[in-house]
Amino acid sequence: MIAMLMIALMIISIGALMNRAVTYYKHEPWEEYLTLIGNIELSSHRLVELSLSNYTNTQPSNSSVLRSNLQKWQTDLTRIYPGYGVSLNYTLADGLYTFSGTAIRYSLGMNYTWQKRASFSVANASFDLNINSIGLSGHKFLTVALLNLTILSVNTETSEITVTVKKENGIPLLDLEKEDFQVAGLNVTKATSRYDEQYVVVYVIKCAGTITLPVTVTVWDSRGIKVTAKYP
Amino acid sequence: MKMRNGNKGQIRVIETILASFIIMFALSFANILAITPTSPKYDVTELQKLGYNVLQDLDEKELLPRFVYNREWGNLRAALRVTLSSDVYFNLTVYDLHGSQINDALLFYGNPQTFADSTNIASVTYGLVGYPARVNATYQAVYQPRILILQLIRG
Repeated sequence: MIAMLMIALMIISIGALMNRAVTYYKHEPWEEYLTLIGNIELSSHRLVELSLSNYTNTQPSNSSVLRSNLQKWQTDLTRIYPGYGVSLNYTLADGLYTFSGTAIRYSLGMNYTWQKRASFSVANASFDLNINSIGLSGHKFLTVALLNLTILSVNTETSEITVTVKKENGIPLLDLEKEDFQVAGLNVTKATSRYDEQYVVVYVIKCAGTITLPVTVTVWDSRGIKVTAKYP
Repeated sequence: MKMRNGNKGQIRVIETILASFIIMFALSFANILAITPTSPKYDVTELQKLGYNVLQDLDEKELLPRFVYNREWGNLRAALRVTLSSDVYFNLTVYDLHGSQINDALLFYGNPQTFADSTNIASVTYGLVGYPARVNATYQAVYQPRILILQLIRG
């Protein structure tokens, strides 16, 4: 009888332990941790975009702005999320890379190649995230911010310039307005987008006055990243 | 032999009573440990998840940085009201890194008394890095972190 009671007690103890384990895994805020990781990833990406915006809009360009911002971000993360044990390490792209078929020579994680028919501004950093409080270590993610402007054609008779504007992964931008374009020496009167079989979305920039070649077009996207292209 | 069989029967009864007690004890024990969907702790966790998701969703749509850095407090409050269900009360405060409050307007929805009385307030911390501001024909993109503290309770 005593043996039976002992077995019963063991079964009940195991049951209680299993119940506790299941309850823990069910209600430990894993989703909250995922969102915390998501927030850090998204903010790091935004910081790369912000740094590229600063780099492309400042004359003379501050080539170390990305490194400097990331250094501050590393420190400030511990202030924003105290008690989590967050540490973020970064590596800036340096040297020759190929991204979406384009050769890019980075310096301190950034590059801009302007005054060409197909011009771009790009920033690239990879991260390594550790959060001690939840036992996360070595979570890696890569962030690339890119803006590409390509002048497809210029019609001097109608004073229209046709361009494509794409961001990283070749995604065309759909929300640009005439205020986002600038044509050197001319006023932009209208910028309209239309579907194109080859480029998906193209913008037709209508200018006041006569276009003389070569023509220089500048665009800013909603992230504040700037690119200047020249045709021919 | 008859007596022995009678004793055996009594022992079986005692065993059954003891087993019933053990089962009752185990069930009570399991009930104490369980965090059911109706318990306050579960609700706070759910609200935290909800708060994080709402802020992240607004951030991904590039609305959150715009509202915060352009001080569009009315739009920010409206966006939170639309995104959260009407029985979720919120109080959002925006700080800089030195702990100074940035929002000069109250980003609050709900009954203040419910907030004051509640012991189960979910708190969510969310960080922003900056937002490019258009100045004339160019952009000023400065690193300027903001800390958002969103408090949520069920009304």
